[in-house]
Amino acid sequence: MTFTRVLAAAALLAAMSAPLAAHHSAAMFDDDKVVELNGTIKEVQWTNPHVWIQVVVDTEGQKTEWSIEGGSPNSLSRNGWKATTFKSGDPVVMRVNPMKDGTPGGSFIGAKWKETGKTIGRWD
Amino acid sequence: MRTALLAAAACVVAIGIVTGQAGAPAARNVRGGVEESKSTSAAVPDWSGVWQMVGPTVFDRATVQPQNGRAGDPGVREFPPYTDEYEAIYRKNIERIKAGTFPDPISVCGVPHGFPRIMNVPDVYEFAVTPAATYVLAENGPGILRIYTDGRKHPPAEELWGTYTGASVGHWEGDTLVFETRGLKESRDNDVIVDRTGLVLSDAAKVATRMRKVNDMMMEAAITVEDSKALKAPWKVTKQYRKLPAGTWAWDYGCAENNRNPISNSGKTLTLGPDGKPIDKNTN
Repeated sequence: MTFTRVLAAAALLAAMSAPLAAHHSAAMFDDDKVVELNGTIKEVQWTNPHVWIQVVVDTEGQKTEWSIEGGSPNSLSRNGWKATTFKSGDPVVMRVNPMKDGTPGGSFIGAKWKETGKTIGRWD
Repeated sequence: MRTALLAAAACVVAIGIVTGQAGAPAARNVRGGVEESKSTSAAVPDWSGVWQMVGPTVFDRATVQPQNGRAGDPGVREFPPYTDEYEAIYRKNIERIKAGTFPDPISVCGVPHGFPRIMNVPDVYEFAVTPAATYVLAENGPGILRIYTDGRKHPPAEELWGTYTGASVGHWEGDTLVFETRGLKESRDNDVIVDRTGLVLSDAAKVATRMRKVNDMMMEAAITVEDSKALKAPWKVTKQYRKLPAGTWAWDYGCAENNRNPISNSGKTLTLGPDGKPIDKNTN
């Protein structure tokens, strides 16, 4: 294992052991379920207490806007995110823990940019 | 000259009124009975840097069930030595969590976490140490815990009222900051909690904390909670904080900047869409 890989593994372990930075009960999210959204970034609200990513999913001509909650910009910026990480118009695949009631919202897990294949968050 | 004397006297009275000292014993209120030399001469340890709590936001990780359970997940609980009365309160809160109707009081972005919860929050910490006081600065919240080490005593009980972080007075034993916190706000309808599993304390809580730097990379706070109403025995919990790389930033945390999670009348945490309207199917 190279030194770089060791560092990456250590950083991943540190990130996984860090407390989650939600300011509210997470009862609305289904932690046991993962939904993959194939869509386009509409807007990023780089704000406290949570970053919100608005994603538009087009299913056979029917467009649905999803509200995806992330951590605080403070914690995300310390883990390599920038306010410009997601840009309006970016085509992405995004994995989320969805709202339990089936409404178009969720908690961010990870994402992959369709054009570059680059990923962010947990993407195994 | 007479005019000047009258003006000076009026000024003294005015200062007394503005600072709330009119008619009060000047020596205690102005200086808190503190000799200035005590607050300026002592050497203090270096706790500089940015730190992050180790592990999840479960206050008492030694007793949490199931192991590695997360605060706020249904069925997760700790085992403080609660009296029957407070065990019943805790169980009721646990049931409300299962029903999705146990809101975190900080969700409204208007109140502090309080103590001891401030020692158990996500994001990062800074510990500002001066001879006269140590300040625990929690980015999340934001939260500030003031620990006075200038030789003052706690205010008499009749002068204390319940506040989120109470009144903390301490001293140094070598490199260990030893302090006691009194005057904590009682949890009423869960308006202040110890963590999101539903732990609460009463206004009889007194908390003794021993805080020290274990090594260059680790801080430790050994917390002993005593509460004659809520606890049958002292409740001991240790929290640890890992130092983040040099140059790490702590940032402003304006919780009300874009709070899209209001609380419904039943205690359910809602989610707002970008138009400011709840996206939840049931908003009661």
